[in-house]
Amino acid sequence: MSAGLNLFLVVSAALFAVGAFAVVARRSAITMLIGTQFMFAAGAIAFVAFGRFGRGAAAVDAGPTVALVVSLTAAAQLAIGAAMAVLLYRDNRTFFLDSDGE
Amino acid sequence: MLLIGALLQPITSAPLVLFTYLVLALLLVTALTSALVRNTLWAIGSFASSMAALALLYLAIAPFLLFAVQLVIYSTVSAGLLIGLLRQTTGLERPPISPISRQWITGAAVAAALAALLVFVVAATSWPVGLLGNAGPALGEVLTRTYVVGLAVLVVILASAALGSGLLLAAPTLPSPRGGGSVRGSGPRR
Repeated sequence: MSAGLNLFLVVSAALFAVGAFAVVARRSAITMLIGTQFMFAAGAIAFVAFGRFGRGAAAVDAGPTVALVVSLTAAAQLAIGAAMAVLLYRDNRTFFLDSDGE
Repeated sequence: MLLIGALLQPITSAPLVLFTYLVLALLLVTALTSALVRNTLWAIGSFASSMAALALLYLAIAPFLLFAVQLVIYSTVSAGLLIGLLRQTTGLERPPISPISRQWITGAAVAAALAALLVFVVAATSWPVGLLGNAGPALGEVLTRTYVVGLAVLVVILASAALGSGLLLAAPTLPSPRGGGSVRGSGPRR
């Protein structure tokens, strides 16, 4: 049994799918915000896996560096998204993005 | 020395493979839980757990700095930010079911078993030198030498985000015909 590039790419794709599901299917702003974070994390996992196992290993620091940039950009997006969610709540008294809720 | 275009070998050390599979399973389960549950507080808790699992994954296959950033900064700050968001708006909701219901007991048992297995594997593993934090020179050194422009851009992005979110929250909101808008969120409200 081994853990190679394919395993991490499959998990990355699955995590991206979970995030996309949360963004598309849910109507709560917080859940959608969390979904975007999962999509960012999926990209970061793919970069790290390519840096560790794939041909990107020729420049061994490139993958983790991009993952670091992705993580911190996701944190910035989360800060802005949280502020927008607070504004949404102040206006509508709910986090749901449509009037029917979920 | 790495050859250009050469593929590194996959992880074959049995405890490390088991650890990797376990962390990946934990990551996916907590992410799915976070997307599916309707209680916001639970969703945030699952999200923080999945980010912690991601940090553990980085511990196995990435430089230590990435693990530290993921665990200390990203997981903690993001969970704190979301919980602060809840406190500013709806307040921390109570779970809809009792903590001693059958669902809680089953979930807690499964989580405890997984955590115990994870602790056992981590404790029993003789971590091979060169697999843990194996990405060559220190990432911090690479960041400050090779990717210094990217680091500067990142600092600008983070500062802009902090400034932008602060301005968004400080901006006066107009009264809304639906009843909200003029009240500042200074404490838990229902």
